Amino acid sequence: MSVTSGSGSARRLLDPRQWPIAWRAPIILAVFMLLVAAGISKVVLSKLNETQTRHFAQLSDAYLEGLSTALIPHVIRRDPWEAFDILDRAGERYFGMNADLTVVTLADGRVLAASDPLRFPMNAPGPNGAPVGQDAMDPAIDPASDPASEANGSPIDNTGDLVWITRELRELDLNLGTIHALVDVSHYKEEQRQTLIGLIVFNAALTLLLAVIGWWLVRRSLAPLHLVTDRLAQSRDGRLAPFPDAMIPAADTEVGRAVDSYNKAAAAIAEREALLQRLAQEERAALIGRYASTMAHEVNNPLGGLFNAVRMIQRHGEDRAIREKAAHLIERGLANIGNVVKASLVMWRGRSEGCRLSSSDFDDLRYIVESETERRDLVLDWSIGIEQSCPIASQPVRQIALNLLLNACHASSPGNRVACHAWCDDGAFYLRVEDEGPGLPDEIRDMLENGPGTAIPSSRGLGIWTVARLVREHEGSIAVDPTPNTRITVRLPHVSDPALEAVA
Amino acid sequence: MSTNGQVAKAAYRPRPDSSQQGIDRRAFGLGLAGLAGTALFPLPAIAARSEVRFGLTPVFLDSDIRLIADLEAYLGARLARPVTLVKRRTYMEITALLVAGQIDAAWICGLPFIRHRDALRLVAAPVYRGAPHYRSLIITRSDTGFEEVEDLRGTIHAFSDPQSNSGKLVTQAFLAEKGETVSDFFADTFYAYGHRNVIRAVASGLAQSGSVENYVWEVMRDIEPDLIARTRVLRRSEAMGFPPVAASLQADPALVDALREALLAMPEDDRGQHILKTLRLDGFARVPSDHYDQIAGTWRMVHGAG
Repeated sequence: MSVTSGSGSARRLLDPRQWPIAWRAPIILAVFMLLVAAGISKVVLSKLNETQTRHFAQLSDAYLEGLSTALIPHVIRRDPWEAFDILDRAGERYFGMNADLTVVTLADGRVLAASDPLRFPMNAPGPNGAPVGQDAMDPAIDPASDPASEANGSPIDNTGDLVWITRELRELDLNLGTIHALVDVSHYKEEQRQTLIGLIVFNAALTLLLAVIGWWLVRRSLAPLHLVTDRLAQSRDGRLAPFPDAMIPAADTEVGRAVDSYNKAAAAIAEREALLQRLAQEERAALIGRYASTMAHEVNNPLGGLFNAVRMIQRHGEDRAIREKAAHLIERGLANIGNVVKASLVMWRGRSEGCRLSSSDFDDLRYIVESETERRDLVLDWSIGIEQSCPIASQPVRQIALNLLLNACHASSPGNRVACHAWCDDGAFYLRVEDEGPGLPDEIRDMLENGPGTAIPSSRGLGIWTVARLVREHEGSIAVDPTPNTRITVRLPHVSDPALEAVA
Repeated sequence: MSTNGQVAKAAYRPRPDSSQQGIDRRAFGLGLAGLAGTALFPLPAIAARSEVRFGLTPVFLDSDIRLIADLEAYLGARLARPVTLVKRRTYMEITALLVAGQIDAAWICGLPFIRHRDALRLVAAPVYRGAPHYRSLIITRSDTGFEEVEDLRGTIHAFSDPQSNSGKLVTQAFLAEKGETVSDFFADTFYAYGHRNVIRAVASGLAQSGSVENYVWEVMRDIEPDLIARTRVLRRSEAMGFPPVAASLQADPALVDALREALLAMPEDDRGQHILKTLRLDGFARVPSDHYDQIAGTWRMVHGAG
């Protein structure tokens, strides 16, 4: 279970749509800034590389040109000492060039002199494969002569720190030899690396700063909205608590308009709630009126018998047998009237609302329901499994049961069966009402199972709305089983006796 | 090679403080290069010229303006005439100018002197470490495994100058005595035109060995110890006459005498002492012409062998 919950939380964390707006906006801003920073960094590094390559080409050209001019007379004379002397002194004069090694080869490829004769001795083969005939504007790279160098378009782009540059020595269109210089370009790469680090640090700091500012601004902008959402979250049973006047911002602001709208909605909902309450009372009064007429009818039935008995006594009062029969009739008639009167009291019992539920409460209820089932020609299946009493208020239970049973009667056709079962089990009271009618509409079923909500019920659904509201008020639940018969099971948890007394 | 101890003894007076004080290496080099000649004779080529032209060869170091100025000033004061120092890259150039009377005097090597002895007049010889003698050295890099000259066969050798006694002739003669020629013994040779350059060529590895004079190598051991530490001596020759100051026959004899006196009097003059200190010489001595007969014999032997 926990695993499922954990994976669900992880999914929510990974789904950007689930993130709070206060986080989403700065994260989007940060991602955007990173993209912009990456683009700017690429442009800067590209320009830097371009500048370095041009600078290196110009420096190499000047270096090789200077060496070439000085070397050519000595290369013509094949004077190794003078060539060496020039290369040796050039290392100091062209310090900025960072030439690690310079070699002068003759036209046949043999070394005339090198700045480091131990690496390239006189008369030995020159740097292998070093291309000739290219000047420093397009410095040639010799991959074979030194493992540190690699073939590539720009010497700065090579992974190695040393690259070969070459310049052919020509005089009167004669190839006299070649200058090869192994140049250290690590400082260019170090410059690029420092620039890259600077860009990363600066852009990261800027992105972080903007993200924090964005988070703060969004959070500040959403703060009034949070007031409204917090109020909505705190509302229970669809009742909204309006903002007190002291908390209402100026009406000409966006937040002020939002709070004003919220307060109007809260007032409308409260008004509708009151209206529904009144409707429920009126429904109850109508119910009482309907059963008052029923009671009158029930009382009127034995009245004829009673009058006959009275006339029998008046006419044949001396006859003991007739007198006793008349008295028996009167007794039965009065008993029927008494039952009717007793049943009428079911709907209005005054102080009895806070009493514990007992089986007698259902006995009273039965008289009312039976009159309805008889009138509709239905079969009533009555089963009450309460032995003593249940620690639960009787009045709401009676109203719930009566509404559900009357609704079941209304939904049933003549000859159908209507069942009422009640019992206590496992710390709760259960009431189950069944009928063989066409079933509950979806909205009614939803109302029963999920609470009354804020929707205004139709006049026919008012009794069910009352049931849903009462069950929710008493922290109970309703289960609806639509097949094969419509079966509605209400579960109401027991309450402690002090609580019951408090209600009473 | 011992030679003219009498002459040296008679003419040379040692100067106790002339020696091991620190000097500028460039000044030292130019000083050596500079002592090369003065015109003394009022012959037509130079009679009308009032200035004295003194030739220098780059013995082993580059020119030093300060030493040149000191030398010009000293000689000018002693000769009571303006003195101009003439520098050339090779011994041959200076020798040619001297023989042709284009310059009055010059500090030249012993070999050009004996080859052109008929056209020159010996003025004086420097005194180094108590005698007007020096030696030729064959040096190699310190880190090579060469133990004798024979090990150098097939390698590259650096000579100082084609007209240098210590920088070529002595090595050439040494090989000739063994029946070898330079071209056959060494794989290749080149001239560095300066003893210091030979030392640099050997120290850097450009050449595996080189021929230099001991005076330059020993003085540079103090001036540039790091450079000298990268070389070691493989062979040391016997002592020979130190490269002399010679005058053109066309130079005024009075000027030659005055020049000789000026050189010999250097230890007695403050400026002269400074010059000698820079050059790390004890002074100058009057030496006879046969002081260089040994070099002449070597030349004849090599010439005959070659």
